[in-house]
Amino acid sequence: MATRTAHSSQSNAQHPAPAAASFLKATFAIVWKDLAAELRSRELFSSMLIFSLLVILIFNFALELDIKTRQSVTAGVLWVTFAFAGTLGLGRSMAVEKDRGCLDGLLLAPVDRTAIYFGKAISNLAFMLIVEAIVLPIYSFLYNVDLFNPGLLLVILLGSIGYTVVGTLLASMAIQARTRDVLLPILLFPVVIPVLIAAVKASGGYLTGDSIGNILPWLNLLIVYDLIFIAIAYMLFDFVVEE
Amino acid sequence: MFILDTPPDTSTYMIAGYSIFFILIILYLISLFIRTRNLNEDLSILESMKEQSQTATNRPAAAKPAASTGLAVKRKATRPKARKSNQVKKNVIKKK
Amino acid sequence: MQAKSTALKILDIVSVLLLAVALYLALLYAPEELQMGQVQRVFYFHVATAWTALLGFVAAGVTGIVYLVTKDPKWDIVEVSAVEISLVFFFITIVLGSIWARPIWNTWWTWDPRLTTAAVTELIYIAYFMLREGIEDPDRRARFGAVYTIIGSFSAPITFFAIRLFRTIHPVVIGSGDPSALGTFDMTSKMLVAFMFALFTFSIIFIDLFWNRIRMGYLASKVEQLKLNNMQ
Repeated sequence: MATRTAHSSQSNAQHPAPAAASFLKATFAIVWKDLAAELRSRELFSSMLIFSLLVILIFNFALELDIKTRQSVTAGVLWVTFAFAGTLGLGRSMAVEKDRGCLDGLLLAPVDRTAIYFGKAISNLAFMLIVEAIVLPIYSFLYNVDLFNPGLLLVILLGSIGYTVVGTLLASMAIQARTRDVLLPILLFPVVIPVLIAAVKASGGYLTGDSIGNILPWLNLLIVYDLIFIAIAYMLFDFVVEE
Repeated sequence: MFILDTPPDTSTYMIAGYSIFFILIILYLISLFIRTRNLNEDLSILESMKEQSQTATNRPAAAKPAASTGLAVKRKATRPKARKSNQVKKNVIKKK
Repeated sequence: MQAKSTALKILDIVSVLLLAVALYLALLYAPEELQMGQVQRVFYFHVATAWTALLGFVAAGVTGIVYLVTKDPKWDIVEVSAVEISLVFFFITIVLGSIWARPIWNTWWTWDPRLTTAAVTELIYIAYFMLREGIEDPDRRARFGAVYTIIGSFSAPITFFAIRLFRTIHPVVIGSGDPSALGTFDMTSKMLVAFMFALFTFSIIFIDLFWNRIRMGYLASKVEQLKLNNMQ
């Protein structure tokens, strides 16, 4: 452990400029690995997608989604769906790393640890966005609600970023515990509530054609949350994966 | 709101509040007490185990009969823990 | 376990005495509030436990950072103790608040900023203990605990402001239960005495429980160390 950090700090001292480039390279290598693996197996993606559709189906029976209520409730239903499906994706994504020993391999590589974090976070974000991109038209089709609203898409992007940034960090911890699958939602949901509140409020605002003045504070909150937690995750990830 | 001539009688709620306060605090104190007592018991068992294993390494022949009464209690304390760590190891092997 | 230091024994007794005095002040010395009646007396303990618990959570966040920087296990013991006592105190806060709310706001619960944040915060720290439960390696458990307290202590205030924002944009008055209207009252000087004394008392009680819990933490750490040594 001591030799590992000494080695990487040595290499950073000797090659300062390429360090940034190698950071980006490493990050994208991890993203590419995840996407390529997922393209082949599609296991994460298909389970997230089917799960989302099932949740929407359940909501159909749980809530009276008649035309009037639909307007006010769509934002909430969508975000609940994304939150639950996101948990699945995050959990599996990190668990796969641990179980196949990939995480250990990555940690042994002379790469800045945070590159691993950003790589995983970006690939988790990509999966979540792809699932969302499929769920939106289906929801739109099933409930005759127009969801092709650029404002809505922006909110979904910002919200998903906040969710995956914190989720990746917490998932890295959760998979190292005995109670791994159950633990991630318990850890994640209380912490990610500001994202859910702001995302639902902003989404609802865009869908009902609310004025930008009302929506802006929520967008600001999302951006602030995203920035704060990217910084926190950057600082804390090392502590989560060190042996 | 209108101001009443006499305040409403909410004393039942007050009594409920303070009673629950005391119940909760006492429950917590009991929990602290029980946990501390259990830890102290574990500590004395573990320390006697340590002594006995040390004397066992010194005098392997004599150790067995002397440890017989302690062993029964020892086994109870350690067995569930041993099982847990074995299970963890088994899970790791299975997944690999 | 080492014998309890005399200072702690004295603190134990002092805490109980202070609690008795605080009780007298809250129940008998302070006058009855005109609009709410006797239930308002619950407020003295409710706010006192709330303040001490929140300070405790902040202290836990700080000790989390200190632990990650120093890697000294004693900070982990301090952190767990702070979180545990704060969790208990804050639960008392929530329950007392709910009991106060029932006759005053006509509901056991309302989703206003403070209460929602309180619920979320309590859940965060319950999750903290569930995280710790699931990890067997003490070093890793300490690290993860510290990381989670840091995350939690950033998220909880943001949640509070998020919901405050919610309330400003949508000023929802739930029937007769607008929290800002009902439930506020001016304190007479006697009430102030009871209030301040309760605050003081609960700070002392917190420190007393905290110290006791830290001692237990050291004991637990020692026991765990011995168990791990015996495994090997």
